[in-house]
Amino acid sequence: MSDTPFKNPGWAGNTGEFELSEDQVRGDDFVGVRPVGGSHPSGAATYPYMLPGKDPEAALFEGEYRERFEKILSRYPTKQAALLPALGLAQEVRGHVSPQTMDRVAELLDLAPAYVRGVATFYTMYNKAPVGRYLVQVCTNISCNLCGADDVLAAFLRYTDTELGETSEDGNFTVVEAECLAACGFPTCVQINSRYFENVGPADVPGIIEHLKAEAAGGA
Amino acid sequence: MAYPYVSDREVRVLSRNFGDPMARRLDTYVERGGYQALKKAFEMGQDKVIDEVKTSGLRGRGGAGFPTGVKWSFMPKEPTKPHYLLCNADESEPGTFKDRELIRWDPHQLLEGCLIAAYAIRAKHVYVYCRGEFFETTQILAKALEDAYAKGYAGKDIMGSGVDIDVTVHVGAGAYICGEETGLMNSLEGRRGQPRVKPPFPAAVGAFGMPSTVNNVETLSAVPHIVTHGGQWYRQWGTEKSPGTKLFCVSGHVSKPGNYELPLGFPLTDLIEDVCGGMRGGKALKAVIPGGSSVPILNAEECADCALDYEGVQAAGSQLGCASVIVMDEGTDIVKQVRRMVQFYMHESCGQCTPCREGTAWMTKVLRRIEEGRGTEDDLDTLLQMSRQMTGTTICVLSDSAAAPVVSSIQKFKDEYLALIRRGERVGAA
Repeated sequence: MSDTPFKNPGWAGNTGEFELSEDQVRGDDFVGVRPVGGSHPSGAATYPYMLPGKDPEAALFEGEYRERFEKILSRYPTKQAALLPALGLAQEVRGHVSPQTMDRVAELLDLAPAYVRGVATFYTMYNKAPVGRYLVQVCTNISCNLCGADDVLAAFLRYTDTELGETSEDGNFTVVEAECLAACGFPTCVQINSRYFENVGPADVPGIIEHLKAEAAGGA
Repeated sequence: MAYPYVSDREVRVLSRNFGDPMARRLDTYVERGGYQALKKAFEMGQDKVIDEVKTSGLRGRGGAGFPTGVKWSFMPKEPTKPHYLLCNADESEPGTFKDRELIRWDPHQLLEGCLIAAYAIRAKHVYVYCRGEFFETTQILAKALEDAYAKGYAGKDIMGSGVDIDVTVHVGAGAYICGEETGLMNSLEGRRGQPRVKPPFPAAVGAFGMPSTVNNVETLSAVPHIVTHGGQWYRQWGTEKSPGTKLFCVSGHVSKPGNYELPLGFPLTDLIEDVCGGMRGGKALKAVIPGGSSVPILNAEECADCALDYEGVQAAGSQLGCASVIVMDEGTDIVKQVRRMVQFYMHESCGQCTPCREGTAWMTKVLRRIEEGRGTEDDLDTLLQMSRQMTGTTICVLSDSAAAPVVSSIQKFKDEYLALIRRGERVGAA
């Protein structure tokens, strides 16, 4: 098929009737590299692919992130409406949403800290505690479950040597269960940080883990 | 066409560009006639556009099936306040994966539909609320939108028409309940995504307290085609009450799972046997959930005559919902799958209403206990009683949705529950 060094198991190239490269399916060739400061304000809330270097003490917001934050703010009639994208951006920078981060975002948007706490805790994707470099989210909801998701989850736990929800010793991996990721025709779907891995079977797991470890070691 | 498998039974309207990476590009889209529908809509005028969509009989593709043209007609004709169009891209219903495909393969089709809809309902701003997990998908949409702005297809004075419409891609943060239209509006406003009591309806009091319309991605993606060819053209497919084509998301134990665009009213047996290449490994069919996890489960007998349109599935004993067909073979452990579905609803409950908050948690506990071989026959009565208390008693229908698989599975697969209760025996492995 294509000669990408790492084959994402089971996208169209190997399970269907289309000859496409991984870039073409993911849209990487179309999207290109998006600037951290966001390009057009209409899409400023969408994140760049998750950058590896998280700094829990980083300022919110400075430089290009400030630029993006301002663009996000400009799209809504109220500051409050920018809360979800702002928390997401804060997590992008700091790695997780701590109480201090919630307070800082509250300050930025003229909201009460307690209010922001109520909103942040409502949503699954805000990590309330630090997670590994790779957050491995395995869908175990019905469509994937029917096709062996539990075995895929067990394989990830085994090959990362972690318990569910715990971070591995080397800080690389946290494995959790996810609810339906909307890729049910490609079971089992696993989301690792911002990327979807489709058609993952237990046999694919060691290869994925090795690839991610190599990526982490190479500082990619 | 369908992705990743192709079937000659398909009707390629919304899905014609699936699997074609060139279609995302604005120049390709325009070359193929893109944004001509938007131009035509401006020439027709707002009320004519609404009429055409009414004529088409297009029904909301997010699960509720409410006639789209009628929904649009609820918006005030003479705006005294800002109107909003909200595109619901918070696809989270288990078994559903059509909106992600529509956005990632044909983002301009969706954008054109959003712009036409916004124009028709006198809205100057569109928010596309995408679920937070759709990182890659939203990047594609954002890039396409940026291209549209650059070439004057969005923003001020679109195509020199004098019409101003802005589009913003908004991202959620992981909450199924934000796919409920009033939950979506609350989430957009920067609140906990808890649904609101209706009335007031969104067309009266919606996002930011302003008249709003919420439409699903698939619904809006159909709009440019209806404007181009006319409402009557859309009716050449489907049935009288369920006109048009639908993207069926087939998952589970079939040989070729995927999205297939077919006319409404298509027979369920043909979908499984012909389009999807039959059951995986030649196993026997046990059950099908025809419309996403929120609708009742059908057993194999009930599937035999089931026509996949809103009325047909209702006649068979379930609902079409978002047409997410989850197929289960003879090896399926029904009790385990029902527990997993109810566990999902427990996780996603927003917590406002007592029957839902307490009921989903309690049902999960009871189902787990049965699954582990420690259930009693009274537990089945308890589950049914809880289901009654959870249906029609809450602000939104998440509660009803949690009860649906429980009630239907106890009705139709009682022997599996009893095998576990009486003998600790599991039927099936998956």
